[in-house]
Amino acid sequence: MNLMFDRIGSLFFALVGALFIAESRNISSSAYGSQVGPNIFPFGLGVILILLSLRLLWETYKKGVAASSSESQSPLRYKRFLFILAATVLYVLVLEQLGYVISSFAFLLYAFTMMGSKNILKSGIVSLLFSVGVYVIYVHLLKGTLPGLPAWLGV
Amino acid sequence: MSALQFLADGFLVALQWHNLVFAFIGVLIGTAVGVLPGIGPMSGVALLMPVTASLTSGLPPESAAASALILLAGVYYGAMYGGSTTSILLNTPGESSSVVTTLDGYQMAKQGRAGAALSIAAIGSFVAGLVALIALVFLADPLSDLALKFGPAEYFSLMLLGLCAVSGLGGKSMTKALIMTVTGLLLATIGMDTVSGVARFTYDIPDLYQGLEFLTIAVGLFALGEVFKTIIEDDQSTKEIIKVGRVLPSKQDLKESAGPITRGSLLGFFIGVLPGAGATLASFFSYIFEKKLSKDPSRFGKGAIAGVAAPESANNAASGGAMIPLLTLGIPGSGTTAILMGALLMYNVQPGPLLFSDHPQIAWGLIASMFIGNVMLLILNMPLVKVFAKIIETPSHFLIPLIIAISVFGVYAVQISTFDLILLVICGVAGYFLTKNDFPLAPLVLGLVLGPMIENNMRRALTTSNGDFSIFFTKPLSAAFLVCALLWLLIPLFLKRRGKQVIISEEA
Repeated sequence: MNLMFDRIGSLFFALVGALFIAESRNISSSAYGSQVGPNIFPFGLGVILILLSLRLLWETYKKGVAASSSESQSPLRYKRFLFILAATVLYVLVLEQLGYVISSFAFLLYAFTMMGSKNILKSGIVSLLFSVGVYVIYVHLLKGTLPGLPAWLGV
Repeated sequence: MSALQFLADGFLVALQWHNLVFAFIGVLIGTAVGVLPGIGPMSGVALLMPVTASLTSGLPPESAAASALILLAGVYYGAMYGGSTTSILLNTPGESSSVVTTLDGYQMAKQGRAGAALSIAAIGSFVAGLVALIALVFLADPLSDLALKFGPAEYFSLMLLGLCAVSGLGGKSMTKALIMTVTGLLLATIGMDTVSGVARFTYDIPDLYQGLEFLTIAVGLFALGEVFKTIIEDDQSTKEIIKVGRVLPSKQDLKESAGPITRGSLLGFFIGVLPGAGATLASFFSYIFEKKLSKDPSRFGKGAIAGVAAPESANNAASGGAMIPLLTLGIPGSGTTAILMGALLMYNVQPGPLLFSDHPQIAWGLIASMFIGNVMLLILNMPLVKVFAKIIETPSHFLIPLIIAISVFGVYAVQISTFDLILLVICGVAGYFLTKNDFPLAPLVLGLVLGPMIENNMRRALTTSNGDFSIFFTKPLSAAFLVCALLWLLIPLFLKRRGKQVIISEEA
């Protein structure tokens, strides 16, 4: 698993390096009569990144089987992670549409329950206090900007 | 004016009532961050950076920067303080620089001396903080005078040295650390080029023209990354917390720990000044040093008070020492100081030699507030240690979603864009998987902060030499920095080849 990640990772970083090299060729190569343009730094870094990735790839093959699979003892909870990640993505996407208070409240209540909070009343109170509290303090006291309640609610 | 005169002015800034409040909030949150196992100093500072930005938005720019820095630095050294509490009471270090403290601290707690261990850690941290600050006051002026003589070539090489140092010590694999450094530098090139005004790698996406926001990436990688780690790997086992008992240490304890505290502070300070080393290494070294020095080394690991006093002093002194290269040279030597530097840049304040002449209010105000913050910490920690021990019991099912919500709020409040929120989540996922596979994050953040400065200095140097790269080797100071940078990378490799264990700094 670990070696696999390193191999894929090294290929990925090499690709990133190649991309930066290729794209830096489209940037003008001089500025104000100086011979040193905005292209040289990303170009050079791209080359270094590719070299380093190749070295990492070589290292993973050198280690080969010798590296033992030291997986952690406790079961990894990817399912819980995916649910919370999905909730976070959704939260971020609807934040501007639903407004700060509603989306934060919904996200927190869901995430609290997902993380194993038994008492739904307590979770509800904490979520409500946080979302309304942050909104009132930030927008009304500190005059900051957060999306308010959606217009179609008519409040 | 002498340094002391400046320091007095700094105290005037730090003693303004709102700055006292900021310092207090900073150390309070910092201690909580240090106590909570989920978040370390780096994610704590990153998480609070946007929040402070919105808190200080009503102030004039210069004093806003000073207040924000006072709060964030408070979080930084407050976390160093708080980290010891969990090490001693739970045998779980709150952050990596307190790992060594568990060895003797937990043993002391089991023998019913938890209170003594906690208070010695607090006193040691206090003394160390003072030592680091006094040194900072006297070193700040000469160092920034020296740095003013640097040209672009010297600066380029010096920054390269900083990056190499952090990469050389930054993780289990140096190759991976270097990859992260270069990736950080590359990400920094995205956006409008500051010298020529050419848009690079933007693909006509408007959000990319101003570049990837440092704040978003830092919060994502550190705060969200650690949250995701807790979600995936948390085994939900509840450990028993040992009762604190009597807080004040006995005279015997104080006598035994006076030496270790002094030595730990000095050693920690000098390690902290070195780029790349940082608090974790400092605590390891001082522990080993005390064990070697002790008349009866067998007592270590069985509840020797010196084994708590020395590393706790060392890690605090190191965090003070790490401020020196940041403030005087403008070069952060660790992940946390890189984030502090990002915060300064957010306020348009360029750390470095000119900081002391251009913004004395910020530089000396910060230094003075660290004096005050240390006093506050001592006052907070001695009587309130039992209260802080309670924070550990905060149920993680409330804590974790709240950290996510605070990250989202913070980034949105500063950036007001959904693009940055999506970037935040992506960085969080990347942060978790990269750390899990030993790709260290600190070098990436450092590269991201230093990227524009390195590039500008390189191009300025090359412009004066008409594109001739030998300018970096012919200037003696620059050449010396480059040699040091190379040695920093080669020596660990060499030691590893000879089969020696190289202590690496996970916090860096």
